Amino acid sequence: MTVTTAPEPVVVDELITETADRLFGELCTHEAVQAAEEAGVAPDIWDAFCETGFDLIAVPEEAGGSGGTLAEAIEVLRLVGYHSAPIPAAENGILGGWLLAQAGIERPDGLVTVVPPRAAEVGWSGGGACSMEIAGDGTAVLNGEAHRVPWARSAELIVCVCDCDGQTSVVAVPASECEITPLPNMAGEPRDTVRFVGAAGVAAPAPDGVDAEALAQRGALSRVALMAGAIEKMCQLTVSYTNERVQFGRPVARFQAVQQHLVWAAQDAALVRMAAEVAAREATRGEAPFEIAAAKLIANQAAARATKACHQAHGAMGMTQEYPLHHFSRRLWSWRKEYGSDAHWSAVLGTMATSVGPDGLYPLITSGTAALG
Amino acid sequence: MRFTPTELTGPELDLQAEVREFLAAELPPGTHEPCLGMAADHDREFSAKMAARGWVGMALPSRWGGSDRTAVQRFIVVEEMLRCGAPVGHHWVADRQTGNVILKFGSDEQRERFLPPICRGELGFSIGMSEPDSGSDLASVSTRAERSDDGWVVNGTKIWTSNAHMNDWFICLLRTAPMEDGNKHAGLSQFLIDLRSPGLEISPIPFLDGSHHFNEVTFHDVFVPDINVVGQPGMGWHQNTTEMAYERGGPDRWLSPFSTVEQLLREASGTPMEDAVSDLFGELAARWWGIRNLSLSVARLIDEGEAPSVESALVKEMGTRYEQEVVEKLVQLIDEEYSPESESLFERLLAQCVVTFPGNTIRGGTIEILRSVASKGLQGLPA
Repeated sequence: MTVTTAPEPVVVDELITETADRLFGELCTHEAVQAAEEAGVAPDIWDAFCETGFDLIAVPEEAGGSGGTLAEAIEVLRLVGYHSAPIPAAENGILGGWLLAQAGIERPDGLVTVVPPRAAEVGWSGGGACSMEIAGDGTAVLNGEAHRVPWARSAELIVCVCDCDGQTSVVAVPASECEITPLPNMAGEPRDTVRFVGAAGVAAPAPDGVDAEALAQRGALSRVALMAGAIEKMCQLTVSYTNERVQFGRPVARFQAVQQHLVWAAQDAALVRMAAEVAAREATRGEAPFEIAAAKLIANQAAARATKACHQAHGAMGMTQEYPLHHFSRRLWSWRKEYGSDAHWSAVLGTMATSVGPDGLYPLITSGTAALG
Repeated sequence: MRFTPTELTGPELDLQAEVREFLAAELPPGTHEPCLGMAADHDREFSAKMAARGWVGMALPSRWGGSDRTAVQRFIVVEEMLRCGAPVGHHWVADRQTGNVILKFGSDEQRERFLPPICRGELGFSIGMSEPDSGSDLASVSTRAERSDDGWVVNGTKIWTSNAHMNDWFICLLRTAPMEDGNKHAGLSQFLIDLRSPGLEISPIPFLDGSHHFNEVTFHDVFVPDINVVGQPGMGWHQNTTEMAYERGGPDRWLSPFSTVEQLLREASGTPMEDAVSDLFGELAARWWGIRNLSLSVARLIDEGEAPSVESALVKEMGTRYEQEVVEKLVQLIDEEYSPESESLFERLLAQCVVTFPGNTIRGGTIEILRSVASKGLQGLPA
């Protein structure tokens, strides 16, 4: 009989959860989140976040980061979502910080953001209107336009992954070199348009394992973590509200029709949190294309169902600005579309599922990426 | 409520590999008609083979014939059996719940009498809960057991009793004291009844497709000795509620259509596949992965000594609806007319899913009742 060794456990320090939860709980009040949406920035919250070192969690210390594992960074992002903290935690840390550290590009003191690897219009490999030239000394000159760049308006440095002449590079351009037009997503979070007109930056060859696909996966994982937190908080609001709201002489949560919404939303909260944690665990160990794709698809679908259930259970109150449900539901509708739609990830997963064949289908479900061989 | 991620340990992965090897030898694809989940064929020989490996009643103590295994180890065996559509029907109920009830509430004499044969895969159990006038409102059962010399005399009718015509024993919830105002959960007791007892009559209730699973079981002065009362008379409701928790949240609540999906992939292999079909395989793999992780975490909680009743109700409610959704997606996508007698195995299975899966969200407690249980838990109220 074989004796199989299970992989080492991936443990997240409880202190991280407690610290982030307390920090955001104090800072991200309904009013503060609302004010950040109107202002487009939340410097007080960002500064307090940076003081904890969470802004660079999972970025190696030798690259100027705070150290820690990807799973720990994902736990912080889950709490960002849970408290609707209006800050670019993912962009600065596990996306931008990761790209810079991998490529050996020095990071500035200020905020770093990342151009999401999306469709050809914002791609760099010949498609669309973008072009890049890299000089021998590593300086790059960019022309073109990038869309939906989170918090570009507040950033010091804008980082992207570019394919140029068969070479994948990480390119970092100071925001001062770019023309930035503010644009919000549906939750009022900055998703700005960035124009590069002869913008000068630095380029470094991307090492193995760093390319647009890897960035897409990491970005998707970041959104799953945010969504897990947001759905959980949305459910808790809904349970509280339906216990307080009295109609026909009893709390509306006593009605079976309302209970259905509570149960369905709770299932989705549990499902997405599980997906986020398992995907984070596997991505911490190595490549996890199946788990991340599965988690993002699950999160996208769950966001659709859970926002519907929670809004319905809240009645008209949930449709107002004064009640906080919208901080979560609007973020979920936005994050659902970022780093890959349902259709995108279904297609990716479909390729994996059909490639393993009928006898490999169940092992894929039980062992994930490891079953892809 | 918290579902903590868990994963299989080295020895658990070894068990998984062992079960997969067993199934590859016993039931290679193409050699058997897969069953659709727990509504599986009764095959005493197959049950005996599993039992020989220690896979029936495996979580029961070795003192009583079990293998001292865990809920997670049982999960591993069950999921592999169900995903292959193995004929696990004969020992299913005894393995999943009755053995646990006898261990937890039964006397040593009952443990000695029932648990070793359960673990040998010999005894098939039916469950006697529903009655003509008691379904979701289970506490209203009115089949009576009345005291007689050294035993009880039972009169009344149980209904929807799966496989009573094939099984050996019947674990029954009966009324032993009249219903009290304000406390309808009192006065109920659990009994073990030989399905061949004099006065016990079993009549088929044909299933909608004509097949025979359901029965009506009528008691005409059926004598049940004292030694067959499980636990304390009057504590039946509590014991029964505990028993129901074993029914919930396991792979049987989300894997039933898997063999159908796998067969579609088998039959589609080798020909160009439409994107929509490929995408569906991707989506289904993802969702099964997610639900499985939740369900596995429930099994781990049980092994840690918890009683995750809310978590298991949530998984069962979600899992059984998911089973129906899988079938609906296949139906929407497949441009063939299928029949239970189609030449294609996939089409036969799909036809069977369409016809029988409405029952998946009903059996063992409707999803409406599960929502009520789960939502009380979410609100911190007693279930």
